[in-house]
Amino acid sequence: MAAIWPDGAMLDVILSQVATGLVLGGLYVLIAIGLSIIFGLLGIVNFAHGGFFALGAYFALTLYQQFGWPAVLAAPLLVGAVGMAVERTLIHRLYDKEPLISLIVTFALALMIEALLRLIYGGIGQPFDQPPIFTGIYLWGPLLITKYRLAVFVMTMALLAGLWAFLQFTPFGRILRAASRDPEMVGLLGIRLPRVLTAVFGLGCALAGIAGVLAAPLWTVIPSMSENAIMPAFVVVVIGGLGSFAGAVIAGLLVGVVTALTIQFQPDAANAVMYVFMAIILLLRPRGLLGERWERFE
Amino acid sequence: MTERDTPPQQQRGPELPRPMLRRRNILQAASLAAATPLARPFLGNATAAEPVKIGLLLAKTGDIAAQTEYLANGTYLALEGHGNKLMGQPAELVWLDEPTPQGSQQNMQRLVQENKVVAILGGSLSSDALAEQATAAQLKIPFVCNNAAATAINGANCNRYTFRLNTPVATQATMFAPYIMGYGKKWYFITANYAFGQDIAKSFKEILKNAGGTIVGDDSVPLNTPDYSSFILKIRQAQPDMILGGVPAGDLSTFLKQWNEMGMKGKIPICEIAIGDTDIWAVGPEAAAGLYTSLWWYNNPTNPPEEKAMAAAYLKKYGKPAADKAWMGWIAGKSLFESIDQANSTEPAAIIAALESWKGGTADNPYYWRKGDHQMLLKNLVVQVKPKITDKWDYFDVKGVVPQNAADLDKVFGSPEANGCHMA
Repeated sequence: MAAIWPDGAMLDVILSQVATGLVLGGLYVLIAIGLSIIFGLLGIVNFAHGGFFALGAYFALTLYQQFGWPAVLAAPLLVGAVGMAVERTLIHRLYDKEPLISLIVTFALALMIEALLRLIYGGIGQPFDQPPIFTGIYLWGPLLITKYRLAVFVMTMALLAGLWAFLQFTPFGRILRAASRDPEMVGLLGIRLPRVLTAVFGLGCALAGIAGVLAAPLWTVIPSMSENAIMPAFVVVVIGGLGSFAGAVIAGLLVGVVTALTIQFQPDAANAVMYVFMAIILLLRPRGLLGERWERFE
Repeated sequence: MTERDTPPQQQRGPELPRPMLRRRNILQAASLAAATPLARPFLGNATAAEPVKIGLLLAKTGDIAAQTEYLANGTYLALEGHGNKLMGQPAELVWLDEPTPQGSQQNMQRLVQENKVVAILGGSLSSDALAEQATAAQLKIPFVCNNAAATAINGANCNRYTFRLNTPVATQATMFAPYIMGYGKKWYFITANYAFGQDIAKSFKEILKNAGGTIVGDDSVPLNTPDYSSFILKIRQAQPDMILGGVPAGDLSTFLKQWNEMGMKGKIPICEIAIGDTDIWAVGPEAAAGLYTSLWWYNNPTNPPEEKAMAAAYLKKYGKPAADKAWMGWIAGKSLFESIDQANSTEPAAIIAALESWKGGTADNPYYWRKGDHQMLLKNLVVQVKPKITDKWDYFDVKGVVPQNAADLDKVFGSPEANGCHMA
């Protein structure tokens, strides 16, 4: 394929694809981080995470149509609220059950969310463009990046930094981290653990919702969009190490770049490459890149 | 001890074994036998009231569900237009999913063996339809494929139980070629890596080769690709005269959306065959672009009155215009329902014979199932996205009808033998 470009252009091509891959990876990180937090703190493998991602996109669409762009900011909060309601009614019953039960229940929940979206909005995709201020592209030499993708990348990184600071430096963040390691001890210290767990599930869902809102102008807003989100998210979480915040960030960006470069040189393998990458990482480091030994799950 | 205090067993003596048939049983059986002739008309009516079941085998999830929703709506509308009756008896549709080719085959078996359907409509994706048509032959059930376009369905894989509505990829490619050659001869192929996409790539590469053109890029992309930005970068680098697409349903919507987002709309023409209106409606007016083939367009002024009436009924019932897939569901269903009535039988051989002689449309725009390969012969449309879209549904201008003369249908579709069909 290199023959189609003039000499010396290959490096430019690779740089362009790396930039595109980083943006895609940023989106994967955002989808995966909520999944990672929910698993790390609740021990639940949430198959419905893609459903909450799709809910974010549909809430954004509806709020935009009814009230305009500023209202779209409320979409992740709504997704978080739905997530908390789901935790109180359904998920909290799974904490002391076999992991297989939570897999089945959350898978059923994912199907239910997709069916509900289909029932309410229909199966056809919904047109949804980026806000007008983000329309256009930047061209730096061979690099092309759209204003919207750049904005998504910047927002994702800012959000991740904020989330990290929240978990590291706030009292609630400390409780979350402690609860993820030893929930019984946290309960014995007088902290109302059920409320903490509800909040954590809501936070994870809200993060999926943010990813859905940001992805809506890029991807087709369609009930099945959840399926396209959930598998990369799982791959990123596994590569990064279950429950590892930093691992998910590194893994997401790596998966984005590896996918983009594969598209450049071997497009047939574009979807498979992330699974091959995951297999290689697991062979070398069975707990993932930054996965640690967690007593709760050993 | 008085007589009243005596236990009953002692009063009667030892209990005798009961006879197997008592007089009461014999009387009951005799009464029933005598009454049967009187009841026969009512029993007959009860049998007659059993609904005639038609299977609907269409995907309920995945990106293709955007199209199948319209296919199903059109089919239900056709049955309603038929008074929800077949051969004077109540009729109903039983809809099962097409999760995967193998899952579709299992559901086809369920439709036949558990639901006792007399014929099946469906086949939303080529990969599913190719699997289903083999099962239809095995189960000896008439199968009207209402969407899939892979050439092999009525080519090398044809069988007498399968009827296919959509125009085969190879034929659509031939019909489309004169309209796209004007763009230039440096083409970039971006096609899905399954039967439909591979068929498109093969057909158009042959056309391009014969025209002396050049392939400047050839990407085979996985189904349900959520991000095309890297592919678009490659296309931008390759600078083709035209993009020849072969990505289906929601994938096309995503590609066009990201094509526009990356500032490429209007810079390189996009052409594809066998798309659905829903694929373009999902893109939105800002991003929609391209030249396509289609079987039907709701706002085509030359649509015959019967189709205009269907479009009006669809709008009234569902609150939105009928997409091409709605028409495809409707016409496939209509032809099957009318054929069952014509045959006045649910025997597969009778239904197949009636389908083979069924005719629809008008003298100028006829459509019918060809006996030699069970392919529906009909005119195709070449449509182009309007330069400025002012109506949220009205996206297309009809640029051409192929073939213009109905007498050329056989020639344009090629003979069954030439297409590889040798039906037993």
